[in-house]
Formats: sequence, C-alpha cells, structure tokens
Amino acid sequence: MSLNPQYEDIGKGFVQQYYAIFDDPANRANVVNFYSATDSFMTFEGHQIQGAPKILEKVQSLSFQKITRVITTVDSQPTFDGGVLINVLGRLQTDEDQPHAYIQTFVLKPVGGSFFVQHDIFRLSLHDV
Amino acid sequence: MTGANIDYDYLLKFLVLGDSGVGKTCLLYQYTDGRFHTQFISTVGIDFREKRLLYNSRGRRHRIHLQIWDTAGQERFRSLTTAFYRDAMGFLLIFDLTSEKSFLETANWLSQLRTHAYSEDPDVVLCGNKCDLLQLRVVSRDQVAALCRRYRLPYIETSACTGANVKEAVELLVGRVMERIENAACNREFSLLLTQSRCLPNIAYGQPEDLVRLHDRREEPCSRRNCRNC
Repeated sequence: MSLNPQYEDIGKGFVQQYYAIFDDPANRANVVNFYSATDSFMTFEGHQIQGAPKILEKVQSLSFQKITRVITTVDSQPTFDGGVLINVLGRLQTDEDQPHAYIQTFVLKPVGGSFFVQHDIFRLSLHDV
Repeated sequence: MTGANIDYDYLLKFLVLGDSGVGKTCLLYQYTDGRFHTQFISTVGIDFREKRLLYNSRGRRHRIHLQIWDTAGQERFRSLTTAFYRDAMGFLLIFDLTSEKSFLETANWLSQLRTHAYSEDPDVVLCGNKCDLLQLRVVSRDQVAALCRRYRLPYIETSACTGANVKEAVELLVGRVMERIENAACNREFSLLLTQSRCLPNIAYGQPEDLVRLHDRREEPCSRRNCRNC
C-alpha cells in the first residue's frame, strides 16, 4: 500500500469525530466501534489494554460525566501501510475539576476503504516526578 | 528559599484524599472560603490552598502556615504518584456518607498513603462528608466505628455544604500533627521531614516571592467548584 495523501484531513476529521462521541456521556461507550475486537492496543496512563471489549471496560470505568476539551494541535503523518499516525495535544476538564493538559496518539489502520484505531496512547501532561 | 521570607513558626503540609465526588474540593473551599488563595499548578496537576493559623500549646503561641493539597481530579485517570505524597505531614481522608463504595475505598486509600507517606503511621483524620444528607445516608455509624477501631483513626462527620465540622476536622489534624512536632525529638522520621519542609522548596512551592505574594491577595475570590449540593 502507498501513502495516503489525505492524511491531514483524515487526522483532523478523525479527532473531531472521536472526541464528539467520547465527550458525550450518553454516547461515550460507542467509541468502542473505532477499535478492533482483537487488534487494537490502548495505553491509558500507562495501563496496557488490548481489544475492543477491554477498551470498552476501561472507558466505562472512568468516573467523570461531563468533559470539556480544547484541542491545541493535531499533527498527522501518513504511514507506509496507507494508515495515519496522529498526535493530539490538548486540554481537558472533567466535570468541575481543574483543567489538565494531555497528549493522545492514535494510529489508524486502513481496512477495506475505512480505518480502525490500531494504537491509542493517552497521558495527562503531569510532570510530578 | 531564604529565611527572610518566613514569618511563621511552622509550615504544615496536608493532603486531602478520597474518591472522586466525595467533596474534597468543596470541603477545602468551605475551609478557606473567600479569605484565602487557591493556587492550581497545572504542570503537576495539584491544587493547593493556604491558611494561617495560631496554635496555642504548653503556654506558647505558634504561628502556623497551613498548606492543603488537593488532587485536582487527576485520580480520575491514574493512581496518584509518590510525588503527591511527598513531604505531607497529615492526611484528611474523606468519604461520602451517601456512598458505600467511597467508604469501602478508604481502606485502599489508607494502604496507599501508608505506603507513600513519610512513615507507616502518619496522622490521618477520617471525615464522613455530606452528613447533611440524612435521608441519603447509607454508611452506618457502626461500620465507621469498626473501621476506626481497626486503623486507630479519629473520625468526624462533616458537611462541606453547610460547613458543619469542617473547621473542626482540619483543626483536629493540626492538633495531632503539632503534638507530633512537639514530640519530634523522639521521632527521627518526623524530625527529618520537618527539616526538609523548613528549607523548602519542592516542586509546588514556586519562587519565594510567589509565596509572599499569595498572602497579599487574600481578597481574590475562590471559584466554587464541584459542589452541586450547595
């Protein structure tokens, strides 16, 4: 497969779509549809998870309802298998907590004219060592 | 940090711990309502509030500078790191009297704080919050009493909403920690901690001038957060 020239638009479009679902408490569980049942990895604050069912469990275990998000940058690169690597820098506020900066990285894997999230790494930007 | 800016006798650093939604931030807000500055340090994700107190003991008056650290919601994503517990001298462990789960989790919080605190037996005050919500209360006095006996904890029921016992809870902890300070000569771990905190700074204290500036801005209103009951 070759590089996908639309990588920028795909990256931005995906991020917008993904967070629109994630940030809606009533709809949050539907983010699971972005992942593969077996071939997706998520690393959430260092916690490693594989496969959509486990990812759903993680998403549903989060204790906040409302989430307000400001995306600062979305950087994308085409990968050599026709996919897209996306890095998001942003800030989020859960319920009435203080806002935290975070970084999230996705790898979109092409499959039959569409994509699924093969890799997803999330970290709050806390420098507390 | 030079000695020139220190106009208090003791700097006490407390942590507020407990599950999300038990009312930690609201309780702190009550305690420091309108009169004191809150400072959120986004790089470390810690919110801390400061208050000055006078503590009388054994015929002497001590000026206390109290710093209370709050998690600012990071515990929703991750377990708190060792850095958060660093240098803490006392702990307010809070659960919600209307949430069984938050009460059961106090055992985990205790084991966490005992692992990370300066000693295995630090001063902890257990607070059953939301005591104003009588109809919704699900944690019984017997349950709490059993836990307190098991872990030898002082216990107080608070309402961050009405302000009941909030001051008392913090001052109970101040009293315990001050007692330990006065006996510090025979407690090596604690005297070490005191020495460290006297010479400051760690990540959250910032520059000496910041510390001074904070007290000059007492008029700045705190934003009320996370308290839907009020």
